[in-house]
Amino acid sequence: MTFLEARGVVRAYGPTPALRGVTLDVAEGEILAVTGPSGCGKSTLLHCLAGILRPDAGQVTWRGERIDTWSEAARSRLRRTEFGVLFQFGQLVAELTAAENVALPLLLAGTGRRAARTAALTWLERLGVAEVADVRPGEMSGGQQQRCALSRALVTEPRVLFADEPTGALDTLAGEQVLTQLVRLAREQRTTVVLITHEPRIAAYADREVSLRDGMVDHTGLGLDPALPGGSR
Amino acid sequence: MRPGTLLRLALAGTRTDGARVALTALSAALATLAGLAALTVLAVAKPPGDEWTQSEQYTTALLREPGLRPGVAFALLLLCVPVLGLAGQCARLGAPGRDRRLAALRLAGATPGQVTRLAVAETGVASLLGTVSGLAVFEVGRRLLHRPDAAGRLPLPTDMHPAPAAVAAVVVGLPLVAALVSALLLRRVTTTPFGVVRRVRTRAPWPWPGVLILVALASFAAIRPLLLWYERRDAVEPDGLVPTLVVVGSLAAMIGVVSGTGWISYTVGRVLHRHGRGPAALLAARRLTADPWAGSRTFAALLAALIFGAGAAAIRADFLARIELSRIADSGGMAGSDSFYLGAMDLVDLAVAVAVAIAAGGLLVAVVEGVTSRRRAYAAQVATGVPRSTIGRSLLWASIAPAAPAIALALTVGYLLIRGTLPAPSGGDFERVVCDTGPQGCGTDGVATRTEWVPKVTVTPDVPWEQLAWFAAGGLAAVLVTVGAGLLLLRSATSVEELRAS
Repeated sequence: MTFLEARGVVRAYGPTPALRGVTLDVAEGEILAVTGPSGCGKSTLLHCLAGILRPDAGQVTWRGERIDTWSEAARSRLRRTEFGVLFQFGQLVAELTAAENVALPLLLAGTGRRAARTAALTWLERLGVAEVADVRPGEMSGGQQQRCALSRALVTEPRVLFADEPTGALDTLAGEQVLTQLVRLAREQRTTVVLITHEPRIAAYADREVSLRDGMVDHTGLGLDPALPGGSR
Repeated sequence: MRPGTLLRLALAGTRTDGARVALTALSAALATLAGLAALTVLAVAKPPGDEWTQSEQYTTALLREPGLRPGVAFALLLLCVPVLGLAGQCARLGAPGRDRRLAALRLAGATPGQVTRLAVAETGVASLLGTVSGLAVFEVGRRLLHRPDAAGRLPLPTDMHPAPAAVAAVVVGLPLVAALVSALLLRRVTTTPFGVVRRVRTRAPWPWPGVLILVALASFAAIRPLLLWYERRDAVEPDGLVPTLVVVGSLAAMIGVVSGTGWISYTVGRVLHRHGRGPAALLAARRLTADPWAGSRTFAALLAALIFGAGAAAIRADFLARIELSRIADSGGMAGSDSFYLGAMDLVDLAVAVAVAIAAGGLLVAVVEGVTSRRRAYAAQVATGVPRSTIGRSLLWASIAPAAPAIALALTVGYLLIRGTLPAPSGGDFERVVCDTGPQGCGTDGVATRTEWVPKVTVTPDVPWEQLAWFAAGGLAAVLVTVGAGLLLLRSATSVEELRAS
């Protein structure tokens, strides 16, 4: 049984096609990088795999079950319990402190406030940002915010972590730190990671790389050319 | 920058910017109509005779009686408060988009001063469009509504026109004030080429507005003792004394209640954070403590209308007590005029209902703006598994939790202001001649009559719980309906498409 799979996934935004029949498998515990130039459909593929978007055609299966036919509420529950999602920016709730942001998925799952805070502090400690536990996102650096967001994505110990350009808004050093921690924790917990990036340097952290081009998997095997801007070939 | 360029850039923008300009103009037009109507009522000339001589050309006693006309004008001017509140909310519509536009202008070489002038010009020009339209509607309305009855009497003062200087003051003054307020609000805003930076108050609100509320109560409570003080000395009080106390007290009450809502929001947020259960309560609590002044801004017009409404309820309770006193002690007073005074109070209640409806319009704009400006953050939360229902409940909590105590405070203050001014009516304490056999039996010679002592009676006005409860329910319903309407937007605002927007 395949762990996570997309079969012939098609998705368009109005008249603009984003995915044109993408098929790929993700193995359990694997770190998969999905690469490609801007506008090739990487984020849309992540949104379909994570159950955020429903494909127009094709299917997405998770441990043998088709999740693309599930209701919005069921897919939300799946994202809350089995999946973690990490975006480039904007995912922390501005009014909540770091600890409260990290505790939020646990609170949503019904965990008591004290237990949720304890778990949140543990994760913030593991990611080296315990000192900002009671600080709001607006008062943190970009790197601290992203490590809080990573803590929040991992606090429920998800089976799959979807990371969409997780270091895109960070400087090189902060990006390296976040990515190193992401990979280390994923390996420790055997969490599967689907990592979206257009940077070859980031993709190098993955076990395997799949390239997209114009909404389809690129089978040419050329990969990304770091010499060209945006990684486009 | 040339005036033409300034005007073109000030009014450029997206559909949302167009909607903001249109709503600002509409608010200005409504305020102009209310202002001109008040000036028209004040322009009614007193006919020759004593101070009680009525203007017989009108059908309604509200216009006929010289003593009532200032009250009518005051009520019309008070309608401007929710209208100006609506204008304030409209100014926030599409603010993120406007911020981006202004930042782009800075990037293109505009100076900070030029950008501020653009923002101020937008408000000023939109308000001027509104006041000119309002004047046009007023003039057309005057002609259309000028319909004397068979006796030549008019239902409205369409035979009068405010002084040209007063009209000019409204039509030109209102946009100038709007522009000035806009410039003052922009003092905390710095537009850089990379975006707009707002200096926000991070200090927790203090309960100092309580002092303003006490000043308001003291101002109203001082009116009667001061008048008695002058009366005891056979002196006449200074002309402006009572109006000054009323205006100062009203303003202090409104500012106190509205700014006190900031403290209420913060305190409610802290209580909710400590005792609330579930993520929705946590999200709402943190939102309330992070920006407690949002409640003040959002509910200002509604609270002002409710203060006025509660004051009107207290006056009605006083009327009813006086009518009751007339019945018990046969003291004359309001006997026979019940329906007129209570009818006038019905009109005041209608004005309050209109004010609440206008305030609800402002509330709706604020809720919609709040949802749309945070749509990307909401979309990210939904994408990570936060149910929309949780976000919806948090919005509801964040609105209702401060609104309920703020409405209670507004109604209490409004009621106490008037209650403190009007003493419980008392009568009796006199002898009267009673005829037990009817007028024919008693005649004029005093046969079959007896003298009766009417004891002193004081009728304490009842607290108008029912009316206050209706106002509270109306205020809360306005909040619930507008938040509910805002929640309808939540599905589209949290669409994953928002995550793709740059």
